[in-house]
Amino acid sequence: MARYIASRLLLAIPTVLAVLTLVFFVVRVIPGDPATAALGDYASQEAVEALRETMGLNDPLYIQYFSFLGDLLRGDLGKSMITGKEISELVRQVLPYTLELTFTAILIGTVLGVPLGIYTARRVNTWVDYVGRVTSLAGLSVPAFYLGILIMLLFAYKIPILPAVGGGDLGDWKSNLSHLILPALTLGLIMTASVTRLTRSAMLNVLKDDYVRTARSKGLSERAVIFRHALRAALVPIVSIIGIWSASLVADSVLTETVFARPGLGKMLVSSIMQRDYTALQSVMVIYALFVVGINLITDIIYSFVDPRIAH
Amino acid sequence: MKDKLDVAIDSEMASLEAPAIQLRSQKKRLFRTFVRNRPAILGVFLMLLVLCMAFFADDWFIAIPQGREPQPLLAPYNPLEQDAANRLSPPSREHLMGLDSFGRDTFSRVIYGSRVSLMVGVIAVLIGGVTGAIMGLMGGYLGGKTENVVMRLADILMAFPSLIMGLMVLAVLGGGLFNMILAIGIVLAPTFARVAHSSTLSVKQNEYVTAARSVGAGNLRITRLHILPNILSEVVVLASIWVASAIRVEANLSFIGLGVSPPTPAWGSMIRDGTKYLFQAPWVSFFPGMAILITVLAFNLLGDGLRDVLDPKLQN
Amino acid sequence: MKRLAFLLVSISMLFILAACAAPAPTGAEQGAAEGEQPAAESGEPMVLRYADKAADLGTMDPHFAAATNDRNLADMMFNALVRYKPGDGSVFEPDLAVSLPEPEIVDGKQVWTFELRKGVMCQPTAETEAYELTSDDVVFSLQKSANPDTSAYAGEYNGMTVEALDDYTVKVTLDQPISPILFFPKVSDYAGGFIICRQQYENVGAEGFKTNPSGTGPFVFESYTPQDKVVLAANDAYFRGRPKLDKVEYRYMPELNSRELGLKSGDLDATNGQNESDWVERMNQEDGITVDVYGVGEVATIHFNTSVKPLDDVRVRKAIAYALNRDEFLALFGGPPVAEKVYSAVPAKFLPGGLTEEEVTALGLDYAQDLDKSKQLLEEAGYPDGFSLEIVSSERESYLKPYTSMQAQLAKIGIDLKITTVDHSSMHKLIRQDANPIVIYVAWRPNADVYLTRFYHSDSIVVTGAKPDTNFSHYAGIDDLIEAARVEQDPDKQVEMWKEAQVKLLDEMISYPILYLNQVTARHDYVDYGHELKSVLALYPQFDETTTLGNE
Repeated sequence: MARYIASRLLLAIPTVLAVLTLVFFVVRVIPGDPATAALGDYASQEAVEALRETMGLNDPLYIQYFSFLGDLLRGDLGKSMITGKEISELVRQVLPYTLELTFTAILIGTVLGVPLGIYTARRVNTWVDYVGRVTSLAGLSVPAFYLGILIMLLFAYKIPILPAVGGGDLGDWKSNLSHLILPALTLGLIMTASVTRLTRSAMLNVLKDDYVRTARSKGLSERAVIFRHALRAALVPIVSIIGIWSASLVADSVLTETVFARPGLGKMLVSSIMQRDYTALQSVMVIYALFVVGINLITDIIYSFVDPRIAH
Repeated sequence: MKDKLDVAIDSEMASLEAPAIQLRSQKKRLFRTFVRNRPAILGVFLMLLVLCMAFFADDWFIAIPQGREPQPLLAPYNPLEQDAANRLSPPSREHLMGLDSFGRDTFSRVIYGSRVSLMVGVIAVLIGGVTGAIMGLMGGYLGGKTENVVMRLADILMAFPSLIMGLMVLAVLGGGLFNMILAIGIVLAPTFARVAHSSTLSVKQNEYVTAARSVGAGNLRITRLHILPNILSEVVVLASIWVASAIRVEANLSFIGLGVSPPTPAWGSMIRDGTKYLFQAPWVSFFPGMAILITVLAFNLLGDGLRDVLDPKLQN
Repeated sequence: MKRLAFLLVSISMLFILAACAAPAPTGAEQGAAEGEQPAAESGEPMVLRYADKAADLGTMDPHFAAATNDRNLADMMFNALVRYKPGDGSVFEPDLAVSLPEPEIVDGKQVWTFELRKGVMCQPTAETEAYELTSDDVVFSLQKSANPDTSAYAGEYNGMTVEALDDYTVKVTLDQPISPILFFPKVSDYAGGFIICRQQYENVGAEGFKTNPSGTGPFVFESYTPQDKVVLAANDAYFRGRPKLDKVEYRYMPELNSRELGLKSGDLDATNGQNESDWVERMNQEDGITVDVYGVGEVATIHFNTSVKPLDDVRVRKAIAYALNRDEFLALFGGPPVAEKVYSAVPAKFLPGGLTEEEVTALGLDYAQDLDKSKQLLEEAGYPDGFSLEIVSSERESYLKPYTSMQAQLAKIGIDLKITTVDHSSMHKLIRQDANPIVIYVAWRPNADVYLTRFYHSDSIVVTGAKPDTNFSHYAGIDDLIEAARVEQDPDKQVEMWKEAQVKLLDEMISYPILYLNQVTARHDYVDYGHELKSVLALYPQFDETTTLGNE
């Protein structure tokens, strides 16, 4: 196991490098550059040229590439080309918001989704199942920005119990928590929909398996059959969908963050593309890639626990 | 080269093994299983409804051979025609779903929008599903170096959040429907790869696979006969879920302004446009939302039905 | 064993995450400001919470501030020699200068001498103590604005020298004499005219100044949370008196619905609204909420590339003009008061030199919609069945709406526009590479000269001009008029020349002016900006020392 983890961590290096290289070159192919984006349409041509020079955009690409890589190896994420702030500091300020949102959403998604999936699977083709299926599909169909606004309308305006917008004050847990609930609920509900669905189908799949039948025929209680045998076997796809959600939530919460006006890593990525903030985009992508690698690794390790037959 | 040949022979043999009669009766039984599944039939019905909307939105099948512009058929109005003075009018007898922010008939746009949204949902998921499933299967089954290479590739792709990937693909290739579909396909591929991979790992351990291998069955044959059918159900279910995601990604891309180019109607972009008027004219976003729900429902009910049919355990 | 390994891995992962996540206090945020503040009457600090549609801060260096949100912040933190009267951008009044000077001609050069106010204090920061602003800072600042390495607006300051005669006197010399209407904008509180504090700039450097600014304005920078907000605090030593507000929270909220709900739920005091009259009407009906609609309006104009087929034919351009109907464009913004029609390149409502509807109609150059005439012109030009053009549009509403409306209107005469949406930056790059045969451009420029020079002087022709800028039409027919008007001292003659130039533009249908879009801001009734809102160049309601939240 230790060897496996070590080798996967080693493999993360080329992965991150590949991501970085891809981002580095792709973002430079896109029309527009940070100098033009920063100076706006009113700026004079000389000013744009001068800023390009200061930003080092006139250097040959390979020099820009290796100097960025060199800085990165020294642990220097560089400065934002737009605000001139240290990216590591920007990330430090934003990351807590992203992490709390992601974790809470995953928690909601899992805690609601898995039991619901099991429940509907056990009552397959009854009205409970039908209602559950249609609701979870509704959850899958609705875009996060739409659901977010509805939730905000309901709980911040019609029944004003929670603040509508903002990320809250990180130092003050009350303010922080109250600002967290609505966006986390938005993301959590959407995730619940897909977790419910996948759990249901995985359970149905397993319930037909020979060993579940054997377990049943041995006279084990339904509870024991479900939880000790079926669920355990169904866990692999469930874990994998939760893993996928965890990775994507970190960045794909952009829309929810936008609607609730919260800071977040995903928002930072999108706005750095929009602003052509090359350095910020590259550095944040590296951090995000590390995240994804980490989450995938954890998921893969969990596989071997829930299904001991999967050996690494 | 020799491997490929072996594989080809293997698969020839496999099809010879099953007597034709037995195959036909098996098909019949599968069909019966499917028909008995009432939700699946509802799925078929809804699917037909959506397909009809897409096909008969206008009379293109008559107009194109005649070389004239297609006229609206199912849709009551031209979906591009603007009546700016009456924009955002509520639903009425003339305009069943009201007018949008440009004064276009929402009902007609919902009908025409089925074309783009179906294409986005189906083609993007096919692109993502097929490439992803192949990657995952190869990685999971072959293991070793292949697994490392393929799954790390998936990691690399997955390291791009869907919006960023979409933004980058669109910014480099330029906007347009096809590029958007491609972008969404690329976004979905790694998730398919990971699911297919983990399922393959799990199935690979089963006795029948070990048994098949010990008898000396070829890789492709084992994959085709034993692994693929077993992981297919999960991939199909994932695909039917991901159709919804694909349509949603289109909506999300249009949230940052990079959806389908105007004035082409697409449900996702319609929701986004309508959301700007959510408090003033909720119908603009509600109806395309319902259209997405019905389509997603159709795909998922069908997906479930298919799963039951495809499931090898059920066939015994 | 396995379990143990797993536990170890997950715990270490958590630690790594936690380490990344630990909120680090950032210098300014933990500022001493709170302690120093004199307690407000009620004890509760009076904080104005305003939301803008921007996603994040760009820069607080006023000479680089290009986005509206950055200009807003600059407006609150800095002063200039001269300012536009708060709430009314058509009047100049002294700001850091004691009075508005009269120009003198010395050796053929034009000299403007400014006498500075005494006792104006530079805002203290973590790096720099408070000190009195003198001519040294003014000269430094204007020279910075003139340098393309340190300013986006260097082009405006060609041929200008600035020197300090003593601590409180600044002499500005222009190689080419110009009229006050063209000179004052250069030294006013917009773009390059803002005066920054030299010591702070030298202490923190060019990069540092973007997020550690220091000026002399009513508000002082306090903290910045990325993508969330900038907090400004009252400048106790402000020369016009301490602001009534204790703080301004400037929030970044790109989503309109959230801003609306935020305002209604009381999380916000004022917010940037939707540029639509329907929205204004609806929000005005809400209890306790008032919407202000005010200038200046950004002008949307259609530019035709006269160097490419088929638009090189004036008949085709006129055919397009006759096919268009300003009312259709206007309707997409709910009509007036948010959107109003414009008939010339320079908006007559806000700037001297523009042509009014009456003037244009009298000349028969209003191009009132006439589809028959339009089709006839197309036929004469040899395009009886129309043609098709490929066009990129920005994803922003202010662009997408007019483009989509134009697309539907031109479809009626057989012209097929294929629009591809790209992100805003891409569009700006692409149209400057001549990607669009027809460009819709939405912009505010401070005077007629800038409008005409930037959009219609041959030097400004995109790609091929001497100083490529935003002349998308490749037109070179009014260079002489623009140049002559620029140096004309008699304001009436100057305006005449500008008008003549624009009549030519209309006559040859070089560009079709559509509409201007006013600013829309919603507020709770208790918010009092302290001035009437007629027009504001900074495109927000302007918060200053007089702004307050009701209960005085």
